[in-house]
Amino acid sequence: MIIIDGVRKSFGTLEVLKGIDLTVEKGEVLCLIGASGSGKSTLLLCINALEPIQAGRVLVDDIDVHARGTNQNALRQKLGIVFQQYNAFPHLTAIDNVALAPRRVLGKSKKLARELAEHHLAHVGLGDKLHHYPSQLSGGQQQRLAIARALAMEPDYMLLDEVTSALDPELVGEVLDTLRLLSDEGITMIAVTHEIPFAREVADRVAFFHQGVIHEIGPAKELINSPRMPRTQEFLGKIL
Amino acid sequence: MSTLSTTFTWQDFLLMLQGAGITFFLTIVSGLFGTIVGFFVGWGRCLGSKLLLYLLGAYIEVIRAVPLIVQFVLFNSFMAIAGFPLSPFISGILTLSIYISAYVAEVVKAGIESVPRRTSMAARGLGMTYLQDFFHVVLPIGTRAVLPSWTGLMLGLMKDTSLIAVLGATPPELLRSSQIIITRIHDPLLILIGAGAFYFVMCFVIARLSGRYERRWQREQEALQ
Repeated sequence: MIIIDGVRKSFGTLEVLKGIDLTVEKGEVLCLIGASGSGKSTLLLCINALEPIQAGRVLVDDIDVHARGTNQNALRQKLGIVFQQYNAFPHLTAIDNVALAPRRVLGKSKKLARELAEHHLAHVGLGDKLHHYPSQLSGGQQQRLAIARALAMEPDYMLLDEVTSALDPELVGEVLDTLRLLSDEGITMIAVTHEIPFAREVADRVAFFHQGVIHEIGPAKELINSPRMPRTQEFLGKIL
Repeated sequence: MSTLSTTFTWQDFLLMLQGAGITFFLTIVSGLFGTIVGFFVGWGRCLGSKLLLYLLGAYIEVIRAVPLIVQFVLFNSFMAIAGFPLSPFISGILTLSIYISAYVAEVVKAGIESVPRRTSMAARGLGMTYLQDFFHVVLPIGTRAVLPSWTGLMLGLMKDTSLIAVLGATPPELLRSSQIIITRIHDPLLILIGAGAFYFVMCFVIARLSGRYERRWQREQEALQ
């Protein structure tokens, strides 16, 4: 379970998160929607401590993420993260991209790490691209590589930051299919997305971010089909 | 007999060959030391500490601003005055190492900074530590980016080794041995062309070795068909 309790985050004098309270249950799929700059992506980075926070707490399975003495490296193994810009390691083939962290972080043998990588690449439909470098893959394939790379650490949670935003429209489908697969398997996901139909279909709940706070949160279909707040209505009206 | 002859002899060729060997040795040894020191200086400047950034920056600026030939003499005299007189040869190697380390440091810093922050974030996001990210992600990517610059530094270093002659270092490196021969046979053109050829061959070897890696890495990035 992830508990976010009064989290505030500033970049210099700009306050991006103005007190976020949120609880995500095991197995839940939560989509974060809202305009650019509303703080959704920043929240993901605060959950796995890639960004420090100024106030509040984030608890992941009762571990205080930002507390002094918390082993954040160990914690991040539980929290897979996938970014908008894939961020594949350009000097490694697909299989080595995925095998790197299991090998170095989990201490698996080279053979075992590569077997694991092969399994996860096949899982996202890249079983025939094991020895390709990222530059030889399409955007959609690179993004699925990034998903496989995160999954290979066998995380309990997946944080997905606009994973389809950088893709050409015809490649979005293949990545969303991969995410559907994960949701069917019961992985807990927090996904920042602009794919409203996807959120309606896959998410259990949707949270609408506006100016650094959660403006409205509720069951996915309910919030998207009949939002209560005027701001949410306005946003969904523009995007749908 | 040969030392009195005014024509180019087999002995002269051997002297130049030995000089070329010394030049190569000076380049390899000071290039190695200089790269190790430069690596840490460049890395140190990227650790996010303002103090380190400026302190190591000062080291780099001072070394780059003072002519190498002056550094040879100053370092040699300084060590003698400090009570650690060194042989001109050793003193020369140390000066060359320090000198090139300043330039290597800048190349290392550029290499580290060439790796996008988000690539590191992806590595850290997988649970990798700072050092795991640095050695398995940042370093290999950065090395690929700056290898040509580093090779250029090493080729420059090879030519700079000739300045060690101001210390009267023995055995003589390539240019000094050429001068010794020129003094005797008075045919600077022939000898300097020969010396140039030696330098060319050695530079060519280093450039080709480096080029091999560049091409290998480039092939990684070309589309498999």
